Amino acid sequence: MDRKKDVSIIHYLMILPGVGFIVLFLGSSIFITVAQSFGLFSVTGVSRFTLLNWKTFWERETIDSVLFSLKMGVLSSMGTLLFAFPIGLFLRKGGAGKRFLASLIKIPLFIPALVAAFLILNIISYHGILNEALLGLRLIQEPLRMLNDKFGWGVVAIQIWKNLPFVLLIVSASLASIRDDIIDAARNLGANNWAILFRIYIPLAMPGILVSMILMFIKAFGDFPITSVAGPTYPPSIALRMRNTATLFQEWDKAAVMGVIIIVTTLIMTWLYSRLAEAVEGGTS
Amino acid sequence: MTSSLLTTPTPPHVLEARRKRWIYGILTVFFGITQILWVGIPVLMAVLWSLVDPQHPWSFPQLFPEKLSWAQWTYVFKYTNIVRALKTSYSVAPLAVLLSFILSLPTAYVLGRKNIPGKKVFMLVVLLPIIMPGMVVALFLSRVFAAFHLTQSFFGLVLAHTLMGIPYMIRVLTTSFEAIPQDIIDAAENLGANTFVKIKDIFLPMVRPGLLAGMVFAFTTSIEEFNLTFVIGTPTFETIPTILYSFLGYNFIRTNASVVALIMMTPNIILLFIVERILKADYLSASLGKV
Repeated sequence: MDRKKDVSIIHYLMILPGVGFIVLFLGSSIFITVAQSFGLFSVTGVSRFTLLNWKTFWERETIDSVLFSLKMGVLSSMGTLLFAFPIGLFLRKGGAGKRFLASLIKIPLFIPALVAAFLILNIISYHGILNEALLGLRLIQEPLRMLNDKFGWGVVAIQIWKNLPFVLLIVSASLASIRDDIIDAARNLGANNWAILFRIYIPLAMPGILVSMILMFIKAFGDFPITSVAGPTYPPSIALRMRNTATLFQEWDKAAVMGVIIIVTTLIMTWLYSRLAEAVEGGTS
Repeated sequence: MTSSLLTTPTPPHVLEARRKRWIYGILTVFFGITQILWVGIPVLMAVLWSLVDPQHPWSFPQLFPEKLSWAQWTYVFKYTNIVRALKTSYSVAPLAVLLSFILSLPTAYVLGRKNIPGKKVFMLVVLLPIIMPGMVVALFLSRVFAAFHLTQSFFGLVLAHTLMGIPYMIRVLTTSFEAIPQDIIDAAENLGANTFVKIKDIFLPMVRPGLLAGMVFAFTTSIEEFNLTFVIGTPTFETIPTILYSFLGYNFIRTNASVVALIMMTPNIILLFIVERILKADYLSASLGKV
């Protein structure tokens, strides 16, 4: 791929329909979010520059929502990785039944998020099959509250179930790219299984792990429908709180502040990821 | 050492390999069974719930519903908005797919075949609709749409769904354009093919699998799309996800929700499995992973 750079106005014009559409719609949406958070283009009341809306940032409810969403983001991404990494390691080596297993695992990827929420909700509800099974095995005295629980385990369970194949896809790809020679060489030099796991598999798969973790975090952090269905009554996720503030209480300017919080967190995570990925690549090569 | 070798005719490394194969076999079976339960039980529960007879409710101590019937299905089709929602969903989706295809084709061609400055930035921008948190985009895009009278309108819904479909379409088409070997194009040019012939005989046939994949991804994305539809479309336009959301939220009816959930997921799973059969796995990772 040593083609020289083609610089032509026609090529940029051809890029315009697709990229331009995205820039126009996303750009205008983000612009309005930021502008409204400072009181401009206000839906209700007078439009003038003000920092007053940002007071909402220090309100107890907002902080609770942000912390809750952060918790959901971290737990969902960590939890999914915990399931995905061992399966990815196992699937690395081809073998009988692996293809079938791989396509079986992929099914939740094709199931819409809301449907996934409903499917898992049936399992973990108060008299759901999981509680009944645990009661039957006499592991617990009374059913556990896993749905709409204060902590948010129900949300984490749904996120893990729905996004496992997605994370697995990325993690498997980076595990598959590790060459067997390296592992054979390490074994010859006397490395045991733990050393191979911690000094070869995990460091070499790190770029894939990071990408999937960041994408998972962003999804779970900004999630609206799943926390709305399975999350606790208080605190709501930040996206849920933003939507309620805007459409139920008609406080669009306050909602815009929350929108900016979500966008900025997403951007920080993306930036952090690119820095980490650079550091990892610099370290291994 | 020598005595043990004499008593065991199979050398240790063969035993080791055999032991390993055993462990792998047991693990495969273990993972297989867990996966079948992991996916199977939730789906089975939804199917059972959708078949519960309203006269014989399925409640706590019973392991299985007493009587199964189609009553819930007929109820949902008769007395809820599902038929209208199905019509909306399945008329928005093809239009959004068509529009995102038309908009993506030139962009994907340039991104896949030309080495222009700033290509990396464009590829990143293309991913943004998937990465950006849906509710923020939906909520404030609705302000922009309101200014142009596009909220609560069918055309606005199509535009919103197009926005979510374009990333998949561009990514997948770009991958297919990249995969065309330059030699073929050069050879065709040498033999005197003009632009029209090149498009008809080289580009179109070679990107067809990618085009199919992109269309299915954009289509299923549109069928599943919730945030934008919820803010921009409801209550004038209900789609299957917004109906399901209302059944899961303020009026939670488990049996109705199971019917709607099954209506929503079955076509998606079938479509994607057909496509996966036809295509190589690359497209899946091209559209989802490798950011």
